[in-house]
Amino acid sequence: MAAGVSERKKMAMEFAVTYAAAGALALACGAVFIVAFGGDVLVALGTVLRSSLGTWGGFAQTLNKFCPLLLASLAVAFGMRGGHFNIGVDGQIYAGAIGMTGTAFALEGMNLPWPVFVPLGLLGGILGGWFWGFIPGILRVRFQVSEIFVTVMLNFVALYLVDYLANGPWNDPLAGEAISLPIPDASVLPQVMPRAGAHAGFLIALAAAVGMYFFMTRTIAGYEIRAVGDNPRAARFGGINVARVTLIIMPTCGALSGLAGAIEVSGFHQSLLLGISGAEGAPNYGAMAILIAVIGRNNPLGVTIAAAVFAVLVSGSDSLQRSIGLPGAAVFVFQAIIVLTVVFVQARRSVRAG
Amino acid sequence: MGKIDSCVEMYGVSKSFGEVRALGAVDFEAAKGEIHALLGENGAGKTTLMNILSGLYRMDEGQIAIDGREVDIHSPQDAIAVGVGMVHQHVELIGNFTALENILLGREGSRWRLDVEARRSSVEELAANYGLSIPLDEGVKTLPAGIQQKVEILKALYHGADILILDEPTTMLTPHEVDGLFSILKSFAKGGLTVVFITHKIQEVLDNCDRITVFRGGRKIDTIPRREATRDRLVQMMMGERGMPPEGERPAGPSAAREGEPALSVRGVRTSGKWGVPLAGVAFDVPRGLIVGMAGISGNGQKELAEAVAGLIEVEEGEVHIDGEEVSNLSVAGRIARGMSLLPQDRIEEGILPGLSLAENFVLGLHPHIFRRRGVFEREAAHELGRNAIAEFNILARNEHVPAAHLSGGNIQKTIVARAVMLAQETGGKVMIANNPTRGLDVMAASFVHGRLRELRAGGAGVLLISEDLDELCLMSDRIVVIYAGEILGAFDGPEYDIYRIGALMAGQREEVS
Repeated sequence: MAAGVSERKKMAMEFAVTYAAAGALALACGAVFIVAFGGDVLVALGTVLRSSLGTWGGFAQTLNKFCPLLLASLAVAFGMRGGHFNIGVDGQIYAGAIGMTGTAFALEGMNLPWPVFVPLGLLGGILGGWFWGFIPGILRVRFQVSEIFVTVMLNFVALYLVDYLANGPWNDPLAGEAISLPIPDASVLPQVMPRAGAHAGFLIALAAAVGMYFFMTRTIAGYEIRAVGDNPRAARFGGINVARVTLIIMPTCGALSGLAGAIEVSGFHQSLLLGISGAEGAPNYGAMAILIAVIGRNNPLGVTIAAAVFAVLVSGSDSLQRSIGLPGAAVFVFQAIIVLTVVFVQARRSVRAG
Repeated sequence: MGKIDSCVEMYGVSKSFGEVRALGAVDFEAAKGEIHALLGENGAGKTTLMNILSGLYRMDEGQIAIDGREVDIHSPQDAIAVGVGMVHQHVELIGNFTALENILLGREGSRWRLDVEARRSSVEELAANYGLSIPLDEGVKTLPAGIQQKVEILKALYHGADILILDEPTTMLTPHEVDGLFSILKSFAKGGLTVVFITHKIQEVLDNCDRITVFRGGRKIDTIPRREATRDRLVQMMMGERGMPPEGERPAGPSAAREGEPALSVRGVRTSGKWGVPLAGVAFDVPRGLIVGMAGISGNGQKELAEAVAGLIEVEEGEVHIDGEEVSNLSVAGRIARGMSLLPQDRIEEGILPGLSLAENFVLGLHPHIFRRRGVFEREAAHELGRNAIAEFNILARNEHVPAAHLSGGNIQKTIVARAVMLAQETGGKVMIANNPTRGLDVMAASFVHGRLRELRAGGAGVLLISEDLDELCLMSDRIVVIYAGEILGAFDGPEYDIYRIGALMAGQREEVS
């Protein structure tokens, strides 16, 4: 029957317990690993936290990781709210990076000041990602092709497109590897912590999270997306045009990822290269974004918090190797354990709820 | 009647699902050679008790004895081993198998050999003994519902049932088939079988049973013999202190139609088979101020018709007009804007947004119309509408913020009805399409839905009421049209109806209709 106040409190408690249990379990498993590698648990933990949050440089790196993680996770969460599983985030990030780079090269000779050039470049990235999301959207609407297949395929297409551009037309001959010429200075995203090296991307990502919250709760389009995601058949009976909604959802997912890719180029790498979606030795942003969206329950606030935690872990993972010789990838084992615990507890709850 | 020779005895049976107590310490006994009715509203516990007896559920507490010997029933196999067989409300046969293969399922032969033919004679003999005529070699899915049910009954008997339980056996049947079923059951009882049948229809009970056990709210109220039972007494036992809801105004018949274009005009509508049952040129009108009932056995195109009228599926040929305007090419939203509202058949799958709040459920369909600023979802306006609807339609929910999934079935249906009524108020309410709007509801909730449909009629709307319950149609409709295999076979003007003639058309027997 109706959810009483006490019931809501109970749900909040269960929620807190779920995440505390997941965190504790992940830490415990992590501790076992560290001990097995002959390391000291407290030292390891201290190292991760110090290197990701304890120094200005480390903190800046965490912020720089937080930006693409958050935008990519919002892209997944946005799709899930509308009932679409977007696993094409990586491709959309690449498409955004291409859009940004291409715009920057195209407008190079115009001597635009950065307050004009940077937004134009980012817009180019957003459009690139939007288009990469539009393709699965239109195929879904017109031919009932599963967006899961299409987005996976498009990941490869985008990857090899970057490979081609970075080696071919946009290649920097002096670099001697698969990397494009640097983008013009005026198209580089400004730094907010110049000495430590943090660019303004995290602010844009946070704004996108706030924007998504308001879009979902305060606009008719957002309401229709949530309705379709909750029960597409009932939404159709209620007069909602599901095809039109799908053609909002998928391209918007792409636009969010595309923005992530554009910022990676404009703020961080300043040129187009392979490996933009994800740090070396780590899973791709697209894969992590799915995990973050699950942990954050597709809610912009939850996703923001989860993305922050992942950013700390990713940024601290390098130091783990330096300090105690544990492979940096061990951090991703922790991440996986957190996710599995959360998913497991959620699944049990929904089984009990029938 | 002296001491009754009890064949089934159940003592102190309790069963809970999660926190919901479905049965509280129920005693029940049925005698050899009787037809015993279990009567009660939906959710009263009658089906739960029989599911325990037939091994589908396990009881939390209690004891069961068959022929005086205590038994443990943990599975349907245990149940059949002690002679209990159950025929469920919805047929549970394998459609691609023949009747014979279905009957033998589970007893096909020795462990490794399929031996259907060798057992044919024994099945034929059994069918002849019990007076069941069944085409044994036909694929089950091509058989009418009444025959499928006989296949199920014969299957239970073949597997050794001498206690036969039937759950709401008449819902899918035409009136002729209902009569046939009960004459068979009476001969079973005469032959010494115990027949327990579950129903919520009082007339069936009065016409066909030896004894009646009434359930209410998970408790047994009493068991009484037929000669002590009257309609009023059974109603009182079923409903308790609440009593029956007022019957409501009887329909006036087609003469009450208002002037002007019909509210809904369906003209020669054909649909493709890819949407389900193809409609083969359906044509009828729903005049303003009338309720037109659509009778038919489930799966004869009712769902497809409702969806074609609503704009959910494509019309290949023909036209749909609302209030004189052709809407065949408009979207669902376009038809809603022109005064259509819809009560979908499946309230969970088609009616609600389970994870969204009650307020957000109320505004579905209304949302393009009620917000003043373009494109903006005005939360305060939605919440206010939700609060008002909860109060006005008497919906049992703590507030407008709870997810719709937390509501009970009856309150979910009230929510959907409330939404349709508000939509009608907002858009001028030309036509309402109600597809089985009271299925599975208790008497009170059904009466609420009927009251709202009558209000719409009184307000000048045309109502298309699609139902599998002929009693409901006769009670509500000014006119009844009968659909069979995607065609309208006939129309009957009310308010009085000959249910046998309607039933014959429902079974596909064409006749000259006046």
